[in-house]
Amino acid sequence: MLVPVVVAVDDERLVEMAAVVDALRDAGLRVGEVLAAAGVVTGTADSDRIASLSAVPGVVSVEQARTIGLPPPDSSVQ
Amino acid sequence: MTSATSGTTGRYLVLLEDDWSGAANELNRVAGIRAVDSADAGVAAPLWDADGLVLRELGVALVSADPEQVTALTAATDRPGPITLVEPERIVRVIANPATDTATRVDESTFSWGLQAVRAPDSKATGKGVRVAVLDTGLDLTHPDLEGRTITSMSFVEGQEVQDGHGHGTHCVGTSCGPRKPSDGPGYGVAYEAEIYAGKVLSNEGSGADGGILAGISWAITNGCRVVSMSLGAATTPGAAYSRVYERVARRALTRGTLIIAAAGNESERAGGTVAPVGHPANCPSTLAVGAVDVRGAIADFSCGTVDTVGAVDVAGPGVDVYSSWPVPTKHRRISGTSMATPHVAGVAALVAQATGASGYELWARLAQTARRLPLPSTDVGAGLVQAP
Repeated sequence: MLVPVVVAVDDERLVEMAAVVDALRDAGLRVGEVLAAAGVVTGTADSDRIASLSAVPGVVSVEQARTIGLPPPDSSVQ
Repeated sequence: MTSATSGTTGRYLVLLEDDWSGAANELNRVAGIRAVDSADAGVAAPLWDADGLVLRELGVALVSADPEQVTALTAATDRPGPITLVEPERIVRVIANPATDTATRVDESTFSWGLQAVRAPDSKATGKGVRVAVLDTGLDLTHPDLEGRTITSMSFVEGQEVQDGHGHGTHCVGTSCGPRKPSDGPGYGVAYEAEIYAGKVLSNEGSGADGGILAGISWAITNGCRVVSMSLGAATTPGAAYSRVYERVARRALTRGTLIIAAAGNESERAGGTVAPVGHPANCPSTLAVGAVDVRGAIADFSCGTVDTVGAVDVAGPGVDVYSSWPVPTKHRRISGTSMATPHVAGVAALVAQATGASGYELWARLAQTARRLPLPSTDVGAGLVQAP
């Protein structure tokens, strides 16, 4: 199953972010965005590939993206 | 002659610039006050025959002044020179229970209770020159209360414009950066001259995902925003780990001078005995998590608390019956939530950043240092209610 993921890259590897992104792609990440300032790569991957994404050198953590929701506009507590 | 109002002596304390030797002369020149300099006195002279005493080593003068002289001194604080602040000398008493001096009814004809609670109206800071990112449902870019303001905006929600189709984002921008003197109703914006960066990371239906939120944070860092206000989150369960991705990003942001401030969450039902843990991503150690208090200074029934060894509430802000902007034609609305407390803290952070030049970890430290302590558990309010500089 394809799931949205967020990947944090190690501070020391940010200078070679492009190489890390290539390696992530090879490991099964469909790259969405490369957020250089945050040191994060977003995208989608098969849920059974998450472990192999985590093993890419320069990756500190891979998480399945969460969804965040607000109450409807007419709610008194938001 | 001076008449003392309740709790003050009728004398005034004048704060002087450091290393100024001619302060006594300056007090005389500005307000006709004949003050004695402690460094020159030397003898046990009858100092109180003079109008004032300059305490050179403290950089403070204690003076007797009539209303005209007070006006002259106060005017001098805005001009170059040694006189930087004038305040009434207070009578010091044993500290009473703070809860008893918190009025339960606040006059909101001029300013919202939230502005008053964080003492924004008493601050000279305006947020001018400080960039504040509000990552939310966007902003009503046509709202008359924001006319003439510097606004940069960007949507991170696929297929939707920045224009706020929910209302939540417009309310949060209003509290953090809105006006003090709108055309109608009370002032409600803390950092009313800050530069607004409105990032839409939640849809008009109120939902968003980590990818868009992280893209918004990255945008804020790239644009040099000192403050990122995030009134958003997902509920967590006790014992759950915080996101290592967000933690890494928040730390990186801090070292680059960007402080991420996030809502603790609204999942508690305290009246029923339930305190829910701080939500994601506010539970990351390097995001400043904000709880909500009401006009009496009591913790809001819904406000999430510290229930784990991680996921601490760091500070509190006004978050019950908060008056702020709402998309036209409604224009203004009163709602509650840690979402409303968060932009109060973000606005105060912008004022502190402007007043002190602090950013990142130093800005966090100053917010905690100057927060007003509340007689409540630190697990609910952290260091207390943030205060404007």
